[in-house]
Amino acid sequence: MARHQIEGHTAKAAVRIQQEDFSQDEEIRALRSSSTRMGGIATFIGCARDFSEGRSVSKISFDAYGSMVEAEMKKLHAEAIAKFNLLDARIVHRIGVVDAGEQIVFIAAGAEHRAPALQACQWLIDELKQRVPIWKKEITPEGEAWVTSHP
Amino acid sequence: MIKVMFFGPVAERVGANALQVEFRKGMRLDDLHQQMKGLYPAAFEIVCFTAVNGEHVRDVQSPVADNSEVVFMSKFSGG
Repeated sequence: MARHQIEGHTAKAAVRIQQEDFSQDEEIRALRSSSTRMGGIATFIGCARDFSEGRSVSKISFDAYGSMVEAEMKKLHAEAIAKFNLLDARIVHRIGVVDAGEQIVFIAAGAEHRAPALQACQWLIDELKQRVPIWKKEITPEGEAWVTSHP
Repeated sequence: MIKVMFFGPVAERVGANALQVEFRKGMRLDDLHQQMKGLYPAAFEIVCFTAVNGEHVRDVQSPVADNSEVVFMSKFSGG
């Protein structure tokens, strides 16, 4: 996992991919520690649904072009901060195998006021889906299938 | 040599994650795309994005430099 030093403590990077689950409390705490001017924080958590296109799904397996994922997510982070005048943001995406019901992706946007935080949060997850090279395979009792479109 | 990489559904249809392709002088992205499409037509039915050295490239006429990393990708499904 990517880590960097902040004020002598080992902190998780604001933008990263990882196999293990994440803690939204930990992420929000890290976001809030970046500024005491933050008046609004909007978050989004994407989870693994246990049902898709008429069949039950037991697990989701993610493949990713790792180096490009990190580069694109860092660009999204910088663009969102500039576009919505955010104080900071967090983007965490899991890869590997995720069980149905588990968390997949976390987005948090922190701004002085609620409107830019909410708008940036939606923009970030929408752009992530369009621009970040990650692919999901649904594992069902009947077999496995790559998802080649997303509603 | 050019390193061509595949992920997810494209890798499954190609049956490999990476291939080495000989570099030819004057090579353009479209030349490489057509060459790969000829070899793996089923995989290229779903290819809709290309990255060169980790950056999205939309101009198929872009020249490809020797030792580049080229990835032919299907629509993303992360998030």
